[in-house]
Amino acid sequence: MIHARGLTKHYQDLQRGKFVAIDAIDFDASPGQIYGLLGPNGAGKTTTLRILSTVLQPTAGTATLNGYDVVAQPSMVRRQIGFMSANTAVYDRMTAWEMVEYFGRLHGMPEDELAERMERLFARLKMNDIRDRLGAKMSTGMKQKVSIARAIIHDPPIVIFDEATAGLDVLVARALLDTVAELRDHGKCVVFSTHIMREAERLCDRIAIMHRARILAEGTLDQLREQHGQVDLEELFYQLISRREEQYLREQELPAGGPLPAGEN
Amino acid sequence: MRWANVKLILARELRDQMRDRRTMFMIAVLPVLLYPLLGMSVFQMAQFMEEKPSRVLVTGVGGLIGREDLPALLEPGQHARFDPRLFREPNQNRLLEVTVLSEEPSAPGEALADPRRKARSMVEQGAYDAAMVVPTELPDRLTEYRRAIEAGEEAPSLEVRPEIIYSTANEKSQIAFGRLYPVIENWIKAVGETNLKAAGVPAQAARPVAVGTADVAGQTKFKGAAIWSKALPVVLLLWAMTGAFYPAIDLCAGEKERGTLETLLSSPAERSEIVLGKLLTVMLFSMGTAALNLISMGLTGWLLLSKMPQFASPPPEAILWLGLALVPVAALYGALCLALAAFAKSTKEGQYYLMPLLLITMPLVIMPMTPNAELDLGNSLVPVTGIVLLLRKLLEGSYWEALRYLPVVTLVTLGCCVLAIRWAVEQFNSEAVLFRESERLDLRLWLRQVFRDRRPTPTASAAVVCGVSILMLRFVMNIAPARPLETFRDFAVLALITQLAVILAPLLILTFSLTTNPARTLLLRWPRPLTIPAAVLLALALHPAVRALQVAVMEQLYPPNEEMIKLLVQMQELFNAAPLWAVLGIVAAVPAICEELAFRGFILSGFRHLGRKWRAIIFSAIFFGLSHAILQQSIIATAVGIVIGYLAVQTASIWPGVLFHLVHNSLGVLTSRPELVQQFPALARYLGAPGENGPLYQWPSVLACSFVAIGLLAWFSLLPVAKSDEELQREEIARIRDAGPELD
Repeated sequence: MIHARGLTKHYQDLQRGKFVAIDAIDFDASPGQIYGLLGPNGAGKTTTLRILSTVLQPTAGTATLNGYDVVAQPSMVRRQIGFMSANTAVYDRMTAWEMVEYFGRLHGMPEDELAERMERLFARLKMNDIRDRLGAKMSTGMKQKVSIARAIIHDPPIVIFDEATAGLDVLVARALLDTVAELRDHGKCVVFSTHIMREAERLCDRIAIMHRARILAEGTLDQLREQHGQVDLEELFYQLISRREEQYLREQELPAGGPLPAGEN
Repeated sequence: MRWANVKLILARELRDQMRDRRTMFMIAVLPVLLYPLLGMSVFQMAQFMEEKPSRVLVTGVGGLIGREDLPALLEPGQHARFDPRLFREPNQNRLLEVTVLSEEPSAPGEALADPRRKARSMVEQGAYDAAMVVPTELPDRLTEYRRAIEAGEEAPSLEVRPEIIYSTANEKSQIAFGRLYPVIENWIKAVGETNLKAAGVPAQAARPVAVGTADVAGQTKFKGAAIWSKALPVVLLLWAMTGAFYPAIDLCAGEKERGTLETLLSSPAERSEIVLGKLLTVMLFSMGTAALNLISMGLTGWLLLSKMPQFASPPPEAILWLGLALVPVAALYGALCLALAAFAKSTKEGQYYLMPLLLITMPLVIMPMTPNAELDLGNSLVPVTGIVLLLRKLLEGSYWEALRYLPVVTLVTLGCCVLAIRWAVEQFNSEAVLFRESERLDLRLWLRQVFRDRRPTPTASAAVVCGVSILMLRFVMNIAPARPLETFRDFAVLALITQLAVILAPLLILTFSLTTNPARTLLLRWPRPLTIPAAVLLALALHPAVRALQVAVMEQLYPPNEEMIKLLVQMQELFNAAPLWAVLGIVAAVPAICEELAFRGFILSGFRHLGRKWRAIIFSAIFFGLSHAILQQSIIATAVGIVIGYLAVQTASIWPGVLFHLVHNSLGVLTSRPELVQQFPALARYLGAPGENGPLYQWPSVLACSFVAIGLLAWFSLLPVAKSDEELQREEIARIRDAGPELD
């Protein structure tokens, strides 16, 4: 469903010069599965998911979603996905109903199908009491619900959640995680990024642990435990991250022309 | 591009803006309230603004009062005003309040003060706006003078004269002077008339006929159109910009700030659909704001002015012309504002861009308001200015004149619209712009980065820095005091300094500090051997066409003023007097090397990183053009710069361009020297007669040579081109996109 190969993204940064946000990462996610990207802040999760949602273009490497290439066929890719992140807000001056309807129409859904699906979604996410409320007047939890409805209104085969639980209270976060699990049960291919171990542990079928632009380990929870001989996920996570951190610092100490490819060819 | 999506986005943005109270107030409520309020306050102010009389002190007129043989200066009675007959409109004498300085000492036994000194100090203190000092002996002298004329004797010299004391430092005093001066002039004229009468000459002899005036505007509906034809286009343009600016900021920078832009970008809407939807919204608001302002201003003006018969209401046709002009103006400003707003990270940053935009727009809007600005080919080619002038002509009712330049203005405006829209689309396609993060301003860090991340060839920003440095240095050179160019030596020294200090020095500094491969940056590579003679031949073949273009620019488009022509002729004389080798060295050889290294070396190499060959060529040519001091030269240089830039890109070497430049400039020198045709009379057949702007080639030679030039350019286009990484990358993306199984 999702195949990423050698996905790389560089930025120019004032302080650090050429900054490698993700460095040749590979991964595959399949339908009916929640694929977790687990890593501390700044690991490259958001950049990866932004590339998958075609908002950013990779510097090198390819990614295909449902068979469509993110660079060559961005608009087809965007039709295959529902994308929700801490950065995708709801419009202040639009009501919940208008907002979801707007994105449904942008997806080119026929009016009757859209109306029917909206009724169902609003009922399922218990949003009927905020139908006519403006985005500016909603609580964080309400906004999150609208964002979910907005992301899945067109019933996409792939749903991407980037740090979706950030800043949510326990109740709202729990409801969101239930929705994510539900989506998986409906056969969607779900990508879920988080820096919270418990969420990954509870939810994800496969996990990729990311730090400093690289994927450090990848597999099902059991596979990871087996490979690294560590039952406690938190301990495992900590070990991997520390090892990568040491390696990264060693790389930084090397003079220019070190392992990070520098300059123009 | 799916129109359904564009319409959806447009509808949403419109509704969104309608729900925003601040924007609506700024662009809809404010104008509707503004003009009636302004009009009302003008009425209120009118009573204070009424013309106030000037206070004038008059001295030494005691001898004039009650004299029968001289015309009256002051009104009889209280002597508080001048005689009404001295004014064009008799009642205007109320605008000068006269105080006659007493000629008696204020206290008995006290010495009489010097009236002139006294008047002076009173004007200085501001007690009076102006003073008129009449020498006490003046009446008697005038009478003596007349008697002498009557008797037919030689008239004595008068030696005394009335004097007006005022201060240019004080506006009220200046007004008083302006009122006082014609009064005293008229009085002197009246004295003159009595003198003529005394000599037996009729008074009309001095002024045998009067001038008649006729106002043709008075008979048509365009009476008073002059103010409106100036005011309305400016109001239209300024409000069209304001109306575009605020929604654009909210629609782009505001969405970035609120985090909804990424939501929209990850929806299936294409970037072009998003831009178009937003652009149409901004355009509608721009048009709406301008229209509301014009209607509100027109209605207020109509109501107010109907009470002031000396002003006319705006002509009703104005609505049609302004409405028509509004569409392209809104498109132009809409796209510009959208691109700026897309670049801004936050609404606060966006607001900062209003001032620069205004500063660029204002001269273009204000310039056509000057009385000398006329709708001609040159002005029609200037964006915005052309529209203002065209509107003015239409509002004045000169339809034919307007129609002549309509196509040019339309083309220029459309061209600008297309460029602005493309810029806006590019801003939306650039992730560096969409996801710009605020970096702290740190000069040291920035400089270190510039050096640390040097690449073999300069970046596009480095190219801009190089171009702008050259232009700034050039400007400094121009305004620096220099001694007048009297000999060719003076010119040669100045030209050499310009080339070395203004062009070569910054170029070398930037090349060695900002790039790691100067040879590659400056294209010092040796080209294929055949390109060398081809470049020389191209310069020869293209010269007639360039010359024709030059004459067209000088004679049709922007004719230089007298001073410029004089300067050019002087320069030509200097050139003709100097030895040929020296002129060729200074005018052809040195610039061919220095300018080529700068514009086709550093700057073009930098712009190649933009990823588009033609854009790089055109940008470098524009800098090349701007670096020439005279507007007419700049236009030609830009055109030639495009050709040389093309040579540099196609051959990946500076040398064909250097040769082209050398031959081209040498030809310019050779063909304008008289001895050439004298030595080789056969050349006259190709060159034609030397005209004002030097010799013009005969048309058949221009045509024939142009064909050869096109052939040569075609040959250059077949050469394999070394592309920049960005150009390759862009092509690669286009290739994948074309090959991909896109479904719709």
